[in-house]
Amino acid sequence: MNPFANESETLDIADLTIENRVDHISLFGSLDITRDKIGLAKAKALYSLLGQAINVLESIDLPEKIDLEKGDRIRNPFT
Amino acid sequence: MIAVKSIFLLLLIVTGVALGAETGCPQHYLGGAAPDVGNPKLAALAREVCYQAYGLQHSGITRTALWSAEHLTRNHVLESKGLHRRNDFHPDEHIPYNERAELADYARSGFDRGHMTPSGDAFSENAQAETFSLANMVPQAGRLNRGAWEALESVTRDLAIRRGDLYVITGPLFQGISLQRLHGRVLVPTKIWKAIYVPSLNQGGAWIAENTDDAKPRTMSIAALEREVGLNLFPKLDARTKTYLMDMPEAKAYRRNYTRRQHH
Repeated sequence: MNPFANESETLDIADLTIENRVDHISLFGSLDITRDKIGLAKAKALYSLLGQAINVLESIDLPEKIDLEKGDRIRNPFT
Repeated sequence: MIAVKSIFLLLLIVTGVALGAETGCPQHYLGGAAPDVGNPKLAALAREVCYQAYGLQHSGITRTALWSAEHLTRNHVLESKGLHRRNDFHPDEHIPYNERAELADYARSGFDRGHMTPSGDAFSENAQAETFSLANMVPQAGRLNRGAWEALESVTRDLAIRRGDLYVITGPLFQGISLQRLHGRVLVPTKIWKAIYVPSLNQGGAWIAENTDDAKPRTMSIAALEREVGLNLFPKLDARTKTYLMDMPEAKAYRRNYTRRQHH
């Protein structure tokens, strides 16, 4: 995954879902990192993703808080 | 021949409500009948898209799904377990460019791309990839998508395992005088609903939730939902069955379990 680079990529680590957006990365669900080889693989996948995200964030000029674009309001076309 | 065809078409039009809308994928719908969009304003620029695991009706006005339907079976759910991979949200190539949503339409909007037919129901990698079409999405409040709504999707899968098979239809509702519009293109629904019908019980019911972070889905009969959304969801189902609300399974979100654990 290329953090913050597109709006398309998703990745599942067990039941943890990760979605890439240009203004944030969403992580949701649940993840057990077990004390075994499977747990290590999951931990490394998550660690790698967070490492890449931090690299991107540290390499650009960051605002204090990113602005959303809430759009506008229109008359309901269905009523 | 042409005359016969015309008479048949006329019959189709006259009895249209009972037969359901014309469809390219009857296998996804109860009795082969697709949901009927009664409201002509909803029907404008509406197109059906058929995929392996589900069929949907897309609106070129909202640039979202109007409904998304699947026949969920025990085997499909069991085959979907543990199916985890990389997927890509993508614009739907079956919808003309000037009617569909693009990835950029959701960017920086604060909304999740909420699946109508869930990716977790898909029985193969290919079928799962197809659920990531933007034609199967609506802008959905993030905490609803990941919490209460995810929990409904999960209990629906459990119900399919327990009861053998289900017909599931999920969609948005656009109510009120005005609507929020993202990037001048995609309309934000005010509510999200899900209807289920269980053939082995001959019973059904529905959930509906405000499209807000703290929304709590409430249950209602299929008949009540159809009145609220202005669709004939199951054209082949009799009115009496639609009016009876089955004992709906209770949905528990990850979030709630997490909170409970924190209190100990």
